[in-house]
Amino acid sequence: MKKVLLPLLAGVLTMSMLSACGNSSEGSGGKVKIEFFQNKTEAKATFDKLIAKFNEENPTIKVSQVNPPDAETVLKTRVAKKDVPDVIGLGATDTYSSLAKSGLFEDFTNDPMVKNIQPAYVDMLKKQTGLAELNGIPFSANASGILYNKAIFKDLGIEVPKTWDELIAAADKIKAAGKNPFYFTLKDSWTTLVPFNSFTPNIVGLDFFNKRKEGSTTFKDAFREVAEKQLKLTEYGQKDQFGKGYNDGNTAFAKGDAAMYIQGVWAIPEIQKANPSIELGIFPLPATNDPSKNMLVSGVDTLLTVSKSSKHKEEAKKFIEFLLKSENSQQYINEQKAFSAVQGVTQSDPSVADLNGAFESGKLVDFADHYIPGAMKVDTLIQDFMQKKDIDQYLSTLDTEWDKVADRK
Amino acid sequence: MAKRRIAFYLMTVPALVLFFAFHTYPALQGIFYSFTNWDGYSASYDFVGFKNFVNIFKDANVINSYVFTFKYAIVTTILINVLSLLIALGLNSKIKFKNFFRGVYFLPNILSVLIVGFIFNYLFANVFTVWGAKLGSEFLSQNILGNQNWAWIGIVIVAVWQGIAFNTILYLAGLQTIPRDLYEASSLDGASRFREFWSITFPLLASFFTINMVLAMKGGLMVFDQIVALTGGGPGRATQSIALLIYTGGFQGGEFAYQSANAVIYFIVIVVISAIQLKFLQKREMDL
Repeated sequence: MKKVLLPLLAGVLTMSMLSACGNSSEGSGGKVKIEFFQNKTEAKATFDKLIAKFNEENPTIKVSQVNPPDAETVLKTRVAKKDVPDVIGLGATDTYSSLAKSGLFEDFTNDPMVKNIQPAYVDMLKKQTGLAELNGIPFSANASGILYNKAIFKDLGIEVPKTWDELIAAADKIKAAGKNPFYFTLKDSWTTLVPFNSFTPNIVGLDFFNKRKEGSTTFKDAFREVAEKQLKLTEYGQKDQFGKGYNDGNTAFAKGDAAMYIQGVWAIPEIQKANPSIELGIFPLPATNDPSKNMLVSGVDTLLTVSKSSKHKEEAKKFIEFLLKSENSQQYINEQKAFSAVQGVTQSDPSVADLNGAFESGKLVDFADHYIPGAMKVDTLIQDFMQKKDIDQYLSTLDTEWDKVADRK
Repeated sequence: MAKRRIAFYLMTVPALVLFFAFHTYPALQGIFYSFTNWDGYSASYDFVGFKNFVNIFKDANVINSYVFTFKYAIVTTILINVLSLLIALGLNSKIKFKNFFRGVYFLPNILSVLIVGFIFNYLFANVFTVWGAKLGSEFLSQNILGNQNWAWIGIVIVAVWQGIAFNTILYLAGLQTIPRDLYEASSLDGASRFREFWSITFPLLASFFTINMVLAMKGGLMVFDQIVALTGGGPGRATQSIALLIYTGGFQGGEFAYQSANAVIYFIVIVVISAIQLKFLQKREMDL
């Protein structure tokens, strides 16, 4: 019985603790209290600063931030308890789409705030949920690709690769020089998703997932090249790839243990913390040999939304409007090394400058795993494949797991 | 008399209410949800009968987690009991700094499982690998937790290291209940130390042996924290225990009802195992 209980009890306890801080909406001095729940631990300090500024400008409103560990799970348990925070900041993940589909969030389709947002990200959110209405406002975007050590590239005379063949040639050259071309952190299963997310949209295309839902295609038919290329890259990794985790990888790459590191821009602050003098850059992973087809994987890192059940929607929207102001969005992306979804706010940090071309030309494509049901745990499937290196088995597992999850609905 | 009875009620009722509210009621709720298709957050759900249970038996991930959990539980139970009994015998003999050693061996028990797990996670990745490389062994220079075939051994090592502490204390308490004169008599009869252990110490520890076996087995079957701190269930699903599968599938995967069904089945399995264990081991106690 403990099995049922442990999670339940944990849930109940967290919820009761959280509701203790969130419930008293009409607080002291007639102030309206707004709870801002967000899922990015890295962004907590930045949001705290912005909230302090907002609270000062609006003496009648008091926003407080809640940022628990494993925030998505906590949010789901709170939704189950019907204790939904007023303002929610969330990644455009499977959690977001399933909550949006259950009709939990406000509709922002005709909201004037959306006018100033990059249309590409608004489309991404709509496409992801498959709903006609827009249930969140994109706030910041991230990008993933290949982080590279500029010093090593310069020493070996390597240019930033634009095609798959150039990438492999560069890796061969680095290997021949006795260095690790890539650093892989396969112990943390989620990091296997980063290359997967770059290969899938460029090789297979994201409309695959809708077709798979209809049953007109299978992973077995479409994903062989994705699997082969991801497996190929591991030949260029360091020793003991399965023994290293994300934090190990950030430190090792910062120390120059490898020339390239397949990660997202979110890792840059961590790497710079470990070695402030590192010269690093990032380029889109060239998945194919046609440079015009290789798009940059960029998704909504944080979207902002208001719960339908909130008692203070007006104040909640006022807070979102405040965050979307250019100067505040600029402060956020400067501190977070992220990209803004607000039009006209640009990222000028040299480490991510190589990506500006892709952003300007709009050659952006969303993360593939946002389209895969969470219950499939696709990251563990990829991790398992990396160990067994059996492409046929991997592809058929993807198909059977997809069907199994669909069957249970 | 009536007054005394009120006192007894006052002592038991609060605990009973708490137990019911936080244990029995959620458990009954879990059984209820296992017959629905609730995802854990939607406002509505439908009844689906035994569909979840049928799907459980078709799910290779569930079978895989059962195999891992039982393999892990049996190995840790045996290792913990053998090692803690040996340590308890040592700590019960006349050695120098006896109390100091008792304190040292108890230390792991007061540390949080997660903290121990994270420390070992670091050791496995960054310290043991360096030692292995110095020994010149290809196998030992790799993080054992990253190896699909051997990751479970890493978890066993951590669980045994920490689990020994508590069982040692119980065995130590048991050893002190054995009357000294039995040993004097046996030494007069010229019994060897091994004979002494086998014919006096071990039989008289029977009830402590039962408790320790049941506790260690239960701990092994419910393994969760160690795995979260060490491997997160990976590589692949190699170290995914049943508890971890229920948690990740139920809360992160949005399959609350399906995993509730898994939990109900697991509950029945644990009840059966505990009953068998108690019956078998207590019979052994009676025979004395």
